[in-house]
Amino acid sequence: MKRILGAALGILTAIGGFVDIGDLVTNAVVGSRFGLSLVWVVLLGVVGICLFANMSGRVAAVSGRATFEVIRERLGPRAAGANLVASFAINLLTLTAEVGGIALALHLVSSVEPRLWIPVAALAVWLVLWRTKFQIMENVAGLLGLLLIGFAVALFLLGPDWGELVRQVTQPSVPQSESPAVYWFYAIALFGAAMTPYEVFFFSSGAVEEGWKAKDLAQNRVNVLVGFPLGGLLSVAIAATAAVVLLPAGIEVSSLSQIVLPVAAAGGTLLLAAVIIGIFAATFGAALETSLSSGYTLAQFFGWSWGKFRRPARAARFHLTLIVSLVVAVAVLMTSVDPIAVTEMSVVFSAVALPLTYVPILVVANDPEYMGRHVNGRVMNALGGVYLVVIVVAALAAIPLMIATGAGS
Amino acid sequence: MHLVMSQAAERGARVIAGAALALAGLVAVPSCTVPSRQEPGQATAAVRDAVAQATSAVETTRLTLRLFDDDRIPSTVADTALLDQLRVLDEASTALTTLVPPDDASAAHRAASADAVDGAVTSVVDARAWVAREAGGNLSADGGVPTSYDELASDLTDVADGLGQAYAEAGGQ
Amino acid sequence: MTRAGRSTRIVDARLHLLSRQVLDDHGEPVAVVDDLELVAPDASQSPAPGSPARIGAVLCGPSLVTRLFGGRPPASRRARIEWDDVERLGTTLELRVRADSLDVGWAERWVRDRMIGRIPGGQHDPEASS
Repeated sequence: MKRILGAALGILTAIGGFVDIGDLVTNAVVGSRFGLSLVWVVLLGVVGICLFANMSGRVAAVSGRATFEVIRERLGPRAAGANLVASFAINLLTLTAEVGGIALALHLVSSVEPRLWIPVAALAVWLVLWRTKFQIMENVAGLLGLLLIGFAVALFLLGPDWGELVRQVTQPSVPQSESPAVYWFYAIALFGAAMTPYEVFFFSSGAVEEGWKAKDLAQNRVNVLVGFPLGGLLSVAIAATAAVVLLPAGIEVSSLSQIVLPVAAAGGTLLLAAVIIGIFAATFGAALETSLSSGYTLAQFFGWSWGKFRRPARAARFHLTLIVSLVVAVAVLMTSVDPIAVTEMSVVFSAVALPLTYVPILVVANDPEYMGRHVNGRVMNALGGVYLVVIVVAALAAIPLMIATGAGS
Repeated sequence: MHLVMSQAAERGARVIAGAALALAGLVAVPSCTVPSRQEPGQATAAVRDAVAQATSAVETTRLTLRLFDDDRIPSTVADTALLDQLRVLDEASTALTTLVPPDDASAAHRAASADAVDGAVTSVVDARAWVAREAGGNLSADGGVPTSYDELASDLTDVADGLGQAYAEAGGQ
Repeated sequence: MTRAGRSTRIVDARLHLLSRQVLDDHGEPVAVVDDLELVAPDASQSPAPGSPARIGAVLCGPSLVTRLFGGRPPASRRARIEWDDVERLGTTLELRVRADSLDVGWAERWVRDRMIGRIPGGQHDPEASS
C-alpha cells in the first residue's frame, strides 16, 4: 500500500510540477493566436524531456553523482564551462520569470501591485529553501499544482466543438492572420518551454538529494513516463481554453489575467480560485526548482558542497548562490519590467541553450565508467540522436526568427 | 597535460565569448522594434498592428465586464485585467504617436487609428471605474462614471466598431 | 600506483584524476582536482622529466581562468591536499580527513562563518524531523 502511495505521489508530483510560468504563458499565447495548430510541438517537447529526464535520472541513480558533476569530469572544464555559462544565465532568467509569475498571481487576487509582492515572493521562496525538507517541498508544490487541472475541467464545461479541436491538432496549419515565420517562432518558443533545461539538472540533483539507487530506476521511469505526458496534457488544456474563448474574440494574450478568463467563463469563481491557487503553486514550485538549479550547476561545477539534505552551514557557498540568485531576480523585476515579457524571452533563450545542456547528457549516459551496464541502449541512442538534430535546428533558428518577427509581434 | 588543454581551451574560450556576445546582443534586439521612419507599406502595417492590439484590449474588456456582471470573477481579478489592458492600450498608443508617417495616406490612417485608440482608453478607464464602484467605491453618476453594464457594453461596441473601421482603412480584412 | 596491501591499478592522471571531485571522510564535497604536485621519490631531489616521480599533493585553487585560457597560477595561490590524506580513488577522490581541517576549505568556512552561519537556522538539519 505504501509503495502504491509512493508511486502515486511521484506521478502526481511530476504532473503538477511540469507546468511553470513559461508553459502557462506560451501555451495561452499560442492558443489565442494559433488555436491548437501547435500542439504537435508540445508532444515533441514532452517526448524529448521524458527522454532526457530518464537519462539524467539514470545517471544519478546508477553513479550516485548528479549529471553536471559527471559533465565536468568527463568533458573537462571547457565543455562544462560553456554549459555552465549558458545554463546559469538561462536559469537566472527563468527564475526571474517565475518570481514575477508568483507576484502576478498574487496581484490577481489582491489589489496590491506586483512590485510590492516581488520581494515578498522571493523571501517566501528563500524561506522554503532554507528550512523545508526536499521531499515535502516537492510534494506540496506538485500536489497543489495539480489544481491546474481546472483548465481541463474548464475546457469540458465550455462544451467546445471537439471535432474542430481535433482537426486543428491533427491538421496543423498557419492561420490566415499570422505569417509562417511567426508560427515557427512560436513553435520554437513552445519547444523551449516544454524542454526546460533546468528541469534535467534539477531532476538528477534531486535524485541524489533523495538518495536514489539503481533499484529506484523503475519507479523513476514510471514517474517520468506517466507524469510528464499528463503534465503536457495540462499545457494543451491551457492552450485549448484560450483557443475556444479568446481566439474567436480576437484577444491576444499578453497578461496572466487574460489567461484565467476562460476558466471563469466556464466555471465561475470557484474554478477560478482553484486555478489561481494552481498557478501560484506551479510558479512557486518552479521558482524553488530554478533557484536550486542555479545552486546545483554552480556548486557542481566548482566542486563545492551542495544539497538541501545538508545543513546550510555545511553547504554554505551553495546557499549563498541561492540567495544571490534570488536577489538578482528581485533586482531585475523591481525595474518594473513586464514579467510576461521576461517569460517570453526566457523560453526562447531556453531553446537556444538546449544543445549545450543536452549534448553532454547524451554523452554521459553512454559512459560505461559511470553507468556500468546501465548505459544507453540502441533505441535510446537513436531517439537521442534524432532529438539532438531537432534541438540544434531549433537553437539555430531561434535567433534569426526572433529578429525577423520582432519576437513574435 | 597543459599543452593539449590549451588548444581546446582556446576553442572553449571562443565558444563562451561568442555565446556571451550573442546573449548580450539578443537582449538588446527585442527593444529595437519598429523604427519610426519607414516605407508606406511598413508604416501602414505598423498602424494595423497597433489597432489589432487595441481591439484585443477592447474585447478583453468586454469579456471581463461580462464575467464580472455575471459574478463569475471577483472585483480584484476584473480590476487587474482592466489595468493590464490599459497598459496594452498605452503600448498601442505609443506605437502610433511615435510613428512618423512617410506619406499623406499613412498619416490619415495613423490619425484615424490614434483617435480610435484614444476612445478605447476612455472606455476602459470608465469600465475600471465602474468595477470599482460596483465593488463598493464612492463614485456616483455625477462623477461621470457609467451606471450600468449595458451602457458600458454599448460604449465598447462603438469603440470596437471605430477600431474596426480604422483597421479596414489601413488595409486590413 | 600502489597502496600498501592493495592491488595495483594503472590510472591515467588526466582522465581519472583531473577535474575529479574530492570528498572528505564524511562524503562531503571539498574541491575539484585542478592539478597535481609531482615530487621525486627521494625527497632531496627535485623532479625532472624522464625520471620517476610520485604524487606529493593534490592542488586546488583559483584555476578556472587558467584552465580555460592557459597558463598556471603560482604555487603560493594553490591549496594543497597531501597525497597521504587520500584514502581511495574511484570516480571521486575520497580523503581520510575532515573538510574543516584542510586549507582548501577556507572559502567555504569563510562564507559559513561570515554569512550563512549568521542567518538564524543555518545550523538546522532539514532532514531531521523538527
